[in-house]
Amino acid sequence: MGRFLLVGRLAARDLRRRPAEAALLLLAIAAATTTLTLGLVLHDVASDPYQRTREATAGPDVVANVSADSVQNQPADRASVEALTDAPGVVDHSGPYPVTGAVLEAQGQLATAQVEGRDPEAAAVDQPELTRGSWVDDGGAVIEAAFADALGVRAGDRITLNGRSFQIVGVAVTAAVAPYPSMSPTGTAENPLQYCVPYPAPCDQRSETRGDPSPELRAAWRRIDAEHPGLVWLTQADARSLAPQAESLSYVLNLKLDDPAEAAAFVNTYLPSGRSPEVVSADGPSLQSWQQIRGQVADDMARNEQRVLLIGSRLLTLLAVASVAVLVGGRLADQTRRVGLLKAVGGTPSLVAAVLLAEYVVVALFAAAAGLAAGWLTAPLLTDPGAGLLGSAGAPSLTMSTVAMVTAVALGVAVAATFVPAVRAARTSTVRALADSARAPRRRPWLIAISARMPVPLLLGLRAAARRPRRVVLGVVSVAITVCGIVAALATRVDTQLGEDRGSIIKGEELDQVLLVITITLVALAAVNAIFITWATALDAKHSSALARALGATPQQVSTGLSAAQVLPALAGAILGIPGGLALFAAVSSDETANPPLWQLLAVVPVTVLVVAALTTIPARLGARRPPAETLQAELA
Amino acid sequence: MQQEVVLAMLAKEPSHGYELRARLRQALGPLGEALNPGHVYVTLTRLEKAGLVTSERAEGLADRQDRKMYALTPDGQQRVAEWLAEVRWPKPDLAEFHLKLVAAAAAGLADPLSIVDAQRRELLRRLRDAQRAALAEPEGSDAALLLEGIVLRLQADLRWLEACEQNWTGRRRRS
Amino acid sequence: MRHTTDTRVRDSADASVLRARGLRKHYGHGQGLVRAVDGVDLDVGPGETVAVMGPSGCGKSTLLHLLGALDRPSGGEVWLAGRRIDQIGEKALARMRRSAVGFVFQAFHLMDELTARENIELSALMAGRSPRAARRRAADLLERVGLADRAGFLPSALSGGQRQRVAIARALSNEPLVVFADEPTGNLDSAATVDVLRLFESLHEAGQTLVIVTHDERIAASADRLISMRDGAFVDETRLSGGTTGQLGALVGLEG
Repeated sequence: MGRFLLVGRLAARDLRRRPAEAALLLLAIAAATTTLTLGLVLHDVASDPYQRTREATAGPDVVANVSADSVQNQPADRASVEALTDAPGVVDHSGPYPVTGAVLEAQGQLATAQVEGRDPEAAAVDQPELTRGSWVDDGGAVIEAAFADALGVRAGDRITLNGRSFQIVGVAVTAAVAPYPSMSPTGTAENPLQYCVPYPAPCDQRSETRGDPSPELRAAWRRIDAEHPGLVWLTQADARSLAPQAESLSYVLNLKLDDPAEAAAFVNTYLPSGRSPEVVSADGPSLQSWQQIRGQVADDMARNEQRVLLIGSRLLTLLAVASVAVLVGGRLADQTRRVGLLKAVGGTPSLVAAVLLAEYVVVALFAAAAGLAAGWLTAPLLTDPGAGLLGSAGAPSLTMSTVAMVTAVALGVAVAATFVPAVRAARTSTVRALADSARAPRRRPWLIAISARMPVPLLLGLRAAARRPRRVVLGVVSVAITVCGIVAALATRVDTQLGEDRGSIIKGEELDQVLLVITITLVALAAVNAIFITWATALDAKHSSALARALGATPQQVSTGLSAAQVLPALAGAILGIPGGLALFAAVSSDETANPPLWQLLAVVPVTVLVVAALTTIPARLGARRPPAETLQAELA
Repeated sequence: MQQEVVLAMLAKEPSHGYELRARLRQALGPLGEALNPGHVYVTLTRLEKAGLVTSERAEGLADRQDRKMYALTPDGQQRVAEWLAEVRWPKPDLAEFHLKLVAAAAAGLADPLSIVDAQRRELLRRLRDAQRAALAEPEGSDAALLLEGIVLRLQADLRWLEACEQNWTGRRRRS
Repeated sequence: MRHTTDTRVRDSADASVLRARGLRKHYGHGQGLVRAVDGVDLDVGPGETVAVMGPSGCGKSTLLHLLGALDRPSGGEVWLAGRRIDQIGEKALARMRRSAVGFVFQAFHLMDELTARENIELSALMAGRSPRAARRRAADLLERVGLADRAGFLPSALSGGQRQRVAIARALSNEPLVVFADEPTGNLDSAATVDVLRLFESLHEAGQTLVIVTHDERIAASADRLISMRDGAFVDETRLSGGTTGQLGALVGLEG
């Protein structure tokens, strides 16, 4: 116990002596832990509102639907679906309800809608919960909330479905399908949900005649994404009237089981053998369990953001390791003496290593706490599940597993970055440690020969950097990781842009914000790294810089050299980061065609170099103007 | 002990025999223990015979040497002044030089610092000569060893002179 | 017609290689004002060896830095080879350092990871010489200081005296007008001191101007002029040539 206290006191005192560095360490690790927390919380959150919606709407445990066969002109096999209501385990049901596709026009936009016919009375299973207005009646439509949000319509607006005018009487949420645009519509590739196209629908002879569509409408028509319809409820009569003929209707049935957990097993039992659950055909009903539906919610809706956050957090974690290694490396030079003292008064190597590690472990724990708190507080901004599910009131809660993982990552960062230096410092012989010969630079004859041929600034810079090669590597790694992130972000933006062009009304703004935040954090951390490395190198090279100036180097030559010593690794890092970023994006996304334009990729390199050069100018000037006599005299003290 | 030391002790003002002895003892510190008490009076007698010092019997006191009052004659004063300006260094005689400084300061006759400086200069010249001679000798010659010895002694003496200078500078600052 | 047989020492200020007038260096202000150098005048002629002695803290090292273009004075003027150096810009000052000045430090200040040869080359490389010319010059200088066989040794493998000789070779690399030495034997034992002494004497014979700050009486005694410094100012100057020779024997009891 005594040793524990001793270690703690020594560690605390050392941290207090250098508050700025401790703060930097904290920030670096906290950046990583915050994004990690966000990513994990987002994953948890998405499923939570679904649960709430399920409870509020008496959500179904199994949804079965059956379609008409348009190829062979067979109507949907309604009986097969109804037979399921008597299956063992089923305690309640609603439907089967008629379903048809329709082209929706609202506020000058065109979209595809999946129209479901319902009764005005509340259903026993899956009664959508109204967030606005009232339930269906004749001529009145209820729109799914996320769909309404995307279209920008509200209760009271008018829309047309297949050319017929309806009024929106209400907006509702349901747990039977995933919210727009994640809903998987009924239908297959061969038997898709049918829409009467081109608009106006010629197949609905009951529509009112309308004039030729205006050019704007024709333009809007191109953005329709036929694979992402939104859900609209009408009365059964209205819904049937929208279908071209009665035989083309599909049907949907909602089932409630006595054991909801058994929904997956139920689906497997009643699926015709050999068919995957997503495939719907006239051969029989296709079934979905509520777990599958929830998976779609978490899958599509927040998928992009969560994916970005998790990747971003991994990049930031790596960068945090590099930052911590840089900070630690700068400090361990003067830790060597403390190690010597500790050992001289009888500390074992393990005690010594423990003291060194303890400081960083303490900082890491604080950073983990800070990251958890920051992530928990900012999560609601990003994880607003949208109108498609009952919104989360208040902040999402942190699960134990999230806390554990974030803490583990923070500790891992600290240990990873300090382990090797700590062990090495602990192994140094006491005498050498006391003599404070902190890691005498290794001699590299080839570098000395090469640098001799270069102009004076490069000569000085190369030799200064070569004294601490690990720092050079950290500089390269730091820039490479950042450029990776930037390139991946650019690719993600292109991906979103392409998606938008294809007609999905997925709003990319929130994603852009997340990308921006992560990119800025990466760049900020890398900038701090670059400044710190330059500063540490300048301090390290204080003596040799003073000597060089005593021998006739100008201050500009010295500071240019120190700056160049950072710019060259940054160049290497930028060049490495570009293919790295592209590979990272390709590895996590299914879309291979999203490549940022070449000019952007090529521009990253000179921009990085210029930014690094600008950042390092100031620390490189550190003490470059001081008269060499001061520094050289001080060395004697 | 040089006669001139005793002379210089009287330069400030006439004093009794016992006073002289006391001042000498004080200036020499522990080394003064070895001072033969009779030696001072022998020297005083010799000085008196040489006409450099006069003595007076104090009123009403016994005719003993320690109670007599001694004073410098004009010849004595001149001898003191000559002695102060001398830079002989015949043998390492630290005590004599030390006392010279003490006396000069007490009597206000000369600035101890300039005495030290003059002596330093002289020793430096000798050091230069000895060094040159030593460097000119072929390697391993016996004379070279002796010369080296001279150089090192001179160096040591110079160091002491530097200490004297520092000490007397401090004293002046304090007074 | 006047001519002087001693061509090394001249009194005319025009011929002086190094000149200082009213040189001052202050640190701090108010109560904490320290006058490290307080009004120094100096003339050094070509080929002269000038030694400055004084107690610790008297400002002699600071003075040397001011004269040797390593630091800027708070006041006064410094002239080196006829050019004023106390107010010129950094670039010009750097040019002075690599062409007109050679500096030898008490702590040697060699680069630990460079060999003796590379340390000397560095000075020539700073002056813009080609690597080959720098190498040749370094070889010559190592020969000159008697360390040709140690050219490829790192400083850690050299004794103190050898290190200082390498440092002196480095100072000579660009054929400076003046070599400044700040306590060159401060960290050396007496044998190494003699080595450095010999080297300085040979430089003196070759006509190199030397300004040395030293505690060591042996070094001081070898100078043409010895200046005593106290509290930032010169208090005494001695020309050591001449003197009462012939009495060496008296020092060790060979009194006649």
